[in-house]
Amino acid sequence: MSILCSKVGKKIGDPITQILTDITFEVPDGQFLSLTGRSGSGKSTLLYLLSGLDSVSTGTVVVENSDLSKMKRKEIAHFRNEKIGFVFQFNYLIAELSVLENVLLPAKKYKQEKTRLELAKSILEKVGLKEKLKRLPRQLSGGEEQRVAIARALIMEPKYLFADEPTGALDTVNGEVVMKMLKEAHEDKKTTVILVTHELDYARRAQREITLADGKVVSDSILSSQTK
Amino acid sequence: MIFLAIRYLFSKKRQSLFTLLGIFLGAASFVIISGFFSGFKHFFIDNLVNNSAHIFIQAKQDFLQSHSLDSAFFGSEIQHTFWKSGPAGEKDYNRIENPQGWYQRLEADNRVEAYSPQLVVPALFSKGGTPISAGFTGCLPEKQSLVNTVAANMVEGKFSDIGSGGNRIIVGQELLNRLGAKIFQNVMVSVGDGKQTPFQIVGTFDSGNKRSDLQAYGLLADVQRANHSLNRINEIDVRLFDYEQSATIATTWSLISSETIESWDQRNSSIFTMFALQAMMRNLIVFVVMLVAGFGIYNVLMMTVTQKMKDIAILQTMGYESWEIRVLFLYQGFILGLVGAILGLIAGYLICKYIQTLPFGGRADSTRPAGHLTIVITAGVYLQACLLSILSALIASFLPARSAAKFTPIEIIRGGAA
Repeated sequence: MSILCSKVGKKIGDPITQILTDITFEVPDGQFLSLTGRSGSGKSTLLYLLSGLDSVSTGTVVVENSDLSKMKRKEIAHFRNEKIGFVFQFNYLIAELSVLENVLLPAKKYKQEKTRLELAKSILEKVGLKEKLKRLPRQLSGGEEQRVAIARALIMEPKYLFADEPTGALDTVNGEVVMKMLKEAHEDKKTTVILVTHELDYARRAQREITLADGKVVSDSILSSQTK
Repeated sequence: MIFLAIRYLFSKKRQSLFTLLGIFLGAASFVIISGFFSGFKHFFIDNLVNNSAHIFIQAKQDFLQSHSLDSAFFGSEIQHTFWKSGPAGEKDYNRIENPQGWYQRLEADNRVEAYSPQLVVPALFSKGGTPISAGFTGCLPEKQSLVNTVAANMVEGKFSDIGSGGNRIIVGQELLNRLGAKIFQNVMVSVGDGKQTPFQIVGTFDSGNKRSDLQAYGLLADVQRANHSLNRINEIDVRLFDYEQSATIATTWSLISSETIESWDQRNSSIFTMFALQAMMRNLIVFVVMLVAGFGIYNVLMMTVTQKMKDIAILQTMGYESWEIRVLFLYQGFILGLVGAILGLIAGYLICKYIQTLPFGGRADSTRPAGHLTIVITAGVYLQACLLSILSALIASFLPARSAAKFTPIEIIRGGAA
């Protein structure tokens, strides 16, 4: 199994608020999973726990037989760089860097920018930004920015792609483009994709849908016969 | 991370430029002030070392005690003498006790370049008018010319002209002016018992220092005769091959003789205190400039940290670690410090070069031509200025860097930075 989430709970704030309670499920390698629920249901928090961005209050998240809470900082950093890609609702592109530089930023961490240059160009070409490699983020549209953000998430060919409301700030056309990119990443590279969305239409395009309400799993359904 | 640090600095050009200006001014002022002060010190020491002897061996100043003359007046039979007003004051027979011993020692010492025995006495010079009080040095001209620059400073006549005897003197320009005398005229000189002796002025010298120029030189034997102190000397001036050893050698000689022995730097110790004060002033000025520049860097980087929270978060989600985030901001301080320092050093160097061309000294009456300001430019000063600039920039960027690195990505994302 790829990701094992066992009796996970999360409390935050002062006074303490219980965000998640007793969450248990497994995500097999190569699955496209959507996490849905109303605002405040805890789906984004769960995504951050699964990706190691945040730490659990109770329970464990085990990825590839490693308990994330027991990993050292350096291991976590390495894990994020090599195994994980993130896409957020806001693109978080670095304003001072060009499109190509933004995409290659994760590769710079271990000085792989030269070896990944062709990959970066091909991803950007695929998403229709071949002519805009040297543009700055402010010279792009919102949809283009999000495409760059996804290209950046894919540059290290991650095993896991975590997407937190990636279409939340986009119009329908651009939302479709983003969903297509996620789907292709899943199908072409067998990437495990975990998508947080409140849009049911997008959620239903995954292989599996977990619905949260008040920090608890209220449904876990397989949407496609391809997935075990 | 350096490429990103550079991009951040370029993205806020105006703030970066003003911050850079602070560092630039600090580095440039350090170089200029250091060069100026060091030049002044160098000029001063150079003048002291070149114009005068390096070590002065002088008869010990001896003072009469209240019972010093008891036995001389009353013999040894009187046990207790009570004076209404006891003897006091300096003994008038101050002399180097064993000059021959000193000559032998100085001849044998291979660190000694030259020495000159002297009889230095206070004297009153007059040419009809009010007597002028001035120093009168009896010396051997061929030896004296080897220990100081009086022979080189001759304006009229030759210093060796006093060597043939016959009551000839060389006087300083200041003394000549005050006397209102001219060369080859006679003046009356009163030393010791107050009896006046005629001396002929056969030359004048001008050292550029009024105090030094208020004195006269005569042949040792002539001065001894006028002072009624034949064969007596009270000072030996010594010139060394290496003037930097002066203090050490003077201290060593002091331990084995009864004479008062001082080196040129010991004699001018108060001036060295002034140099230390100058260095403190320079450090204070540079500290204030760097402090202001440091605050500039701190403010700019703190602002950057606040503005770049989302960048910090996204870098961390990509696997960049806290220390790398810290380095990103330290780099910005480092770059500002380095670039400011380099520009400051270049400007400092050029300004120093310009100052060196400015005329300095000389006399309004053109009797002494103007020289140039001495500015010492040493690699050490540049290295210090560079290190100081970079260090202050790094210190100023430390807090913003630490503040940037303490955030976790989730804090920033939950905070809703967009």
